[in-house]
Amino acid sequence: MMRAAADCGHAAVDLQPPGDCGARAVAGFRVALGSRSIVMTNDLEYENVVMEFRGRGATVRALDTFNFHVAESEFVVVVGPSGCGKSTLLHMTAGLMHPTAGRVMLGGSIITDPGPDKAIVFQNFSLFPWKSVRSNIDFGLRINGMPPAERNELIDRYIKLIGLDGFENHYPRQLSGGMQQRVAIARSFVMRPRVLLMDEPFAALDAQNRQLMQEELVRIWSAQRPTVMFITHSVEEAVFLADRIVVISRRPGRVKKVLDVTAVAGASHWRMDPFEDVIRRPDFQELRAEIWGLVKSEIQLRS
Amino acid sequence: MGRQQLQRTFYGLVSIGGIIALWVYLTGSGRVTPIILPPPADVLEGAIDIYRGYLSVPWYEHFRASLVVMLTGYFSAIAVGVPIGVAIAWWRPLEVVLSPLLAVLRPIPPPAWIPLAILWFGIGLAGKAFIVFVAAVVPCIMNSYLAIKETPQELLVSARTLGASQRTLLFEVALPSGLPAIMTGLRIALGTSWATIVAAELVVSLAGFGFLIMNGYRNLESQIVMVGMIAVAVIGFLMNWAFLLIERRLVPWRETDD
Repeated sequence: MMRAAADCGHAAVDLQPPGDCGARAVAGFRVALGSRSIVMTNDLEYENVVMEFRGRGATVRALDTFNFHVAESEFVVVVGPSGCGKSTLLHMTAGLMHPTAGRVMLGGSIITDPGPDKAIVFQNFSLFPWKSVRSNIDFGLRINGMPPAERNELIDRYIKLIGLDGFENHYPRQLSGGMQQRVAIARSFVMRPRVLLMDEPFAALDAQNRQLMQEELVRIWSAQRPTVMFITHSVEEAVFLADRIVVISRRPGRVKKVLDVTAVAGASHWRMDPFEDVIRRPDFQELRAEIWGLVKSEIQLRS
Repeated sequence: MGRQQLQRTFYGLVSIGGIIALWVYLTGSGRVTPIILPPPADVLEGAIDIYRGYLSVPWYEHFRASLVVMLTGYFSAIAVGVPIGVAIAWWRPLEVVLSPLLAVLRPIPPPAWIPLAILWFGIGLAGKAFIVFVAAVVPCIMNSYLAIKETPQELLVSARTLGASQRTLLFEVALPSGLPAIMTGLRIALGTSWATIVAAELVVSLAGFGFLIMNGYRNLESQIVMVGMIAVAVIGFLMNWAFLLIERRLVPWRETDD
């Protein structure tokens, strides 16, 4: 969190909450920037996490003793067969669900509620259709009580960052899928989340847009570097973006294997390079094949 | 878009023109007596009669009488029905308590309320407005309820992860998200209100379009009946059209500019 104060001054904004809903939202900032300089880490800890859903009669175990640790500012991508509990994992991290057993912790404290320190980006963008691009990005800031002048400045900056200047007053449905997802990403990043949770964010886009958005995400992420949990079905996407990749087994989901991409991707990480160059690298292809093999074996075991 | 609109208007005029032509033909050929179906000229005469003060009621009294009653009932239905629909959709305990009651009351057709309405509220404004209220409140409640119930889950979840309180979720997510459906309910209620006030005036009234239709019938003046019916149709059409204009203003995100 200390780096937040260092770059671009956004976190130095005095976010005094006016009401109770604001208090929770900006707790992260206050603790980090208060006079008592408590160092707050943004690491995620999954400790023996079990998640069960009770259906008619039968209980389905979605996740089973899931253990994993995500370091602060790390970009972790989760892959696994459909129905392995990837989304459940993300929802629990967001505070939208609570594990049946075990603990999910952010910076050492158990996650209890959803809030802007844990932003989610969904596959279907989930923008408010009645709000313009500008008001969509503004929503989180406004309801957490940031003064208008500061909000406007921030929004301007983020609209520029995602390259949508000139579209501020458009409604979501007037934008392409890629543009909508950029707005959704800006809406999350503008809150300065401690963790960014992405649930197959580019799955609804065509191949070209997907590639552009991957590069764009890297660019925006690099400026802020929140901790990222990113779910995808695309192995290529995983290998391109991740610091580490977690392969989850078929239901009930467990950690099947963790692969360290940084060991292969070089000091500056290949995600900083153009995607089309990176996918031609033999070491990229090798890693891609290995992960696909792991995922495939889980899918085949299933049938 | 413009071309399609023109085409639709054209076909609309053709069908209405066809009906009028058939009307002129049937009445002109002498096969139908004027009491069964008065010719257009008689109807025009009837309209002039009403304009000059049919049964010594000034013409504008009919507009005033019908519209005042209708609008009173309609707006009270909105004021009561929309909050109830929203509330039962949002708070589960309320839904459990109120929805069986609504399910039981709903099948009673509004005109069936007329006797009780008169006994409870008299034959003046209040009694008739109550009948309109009963008719209009149902679509207000039902559509508001569905509008809130069908708020996309992912929008609520997104708002929660952005730090929204329950209050913010209701007022800034569920309500705007449901506004188009709520507006549809209000438009349905408008049509229902108008139809109902005419029905109520058939039973008890001293002016208004229902009054004209009923008196024309009692005096065997079919042309007066038809003037009343045509006026009801035209006013109903205009109200719906005006409502659509307002709706487009209030729900601009439904439109596409490109």
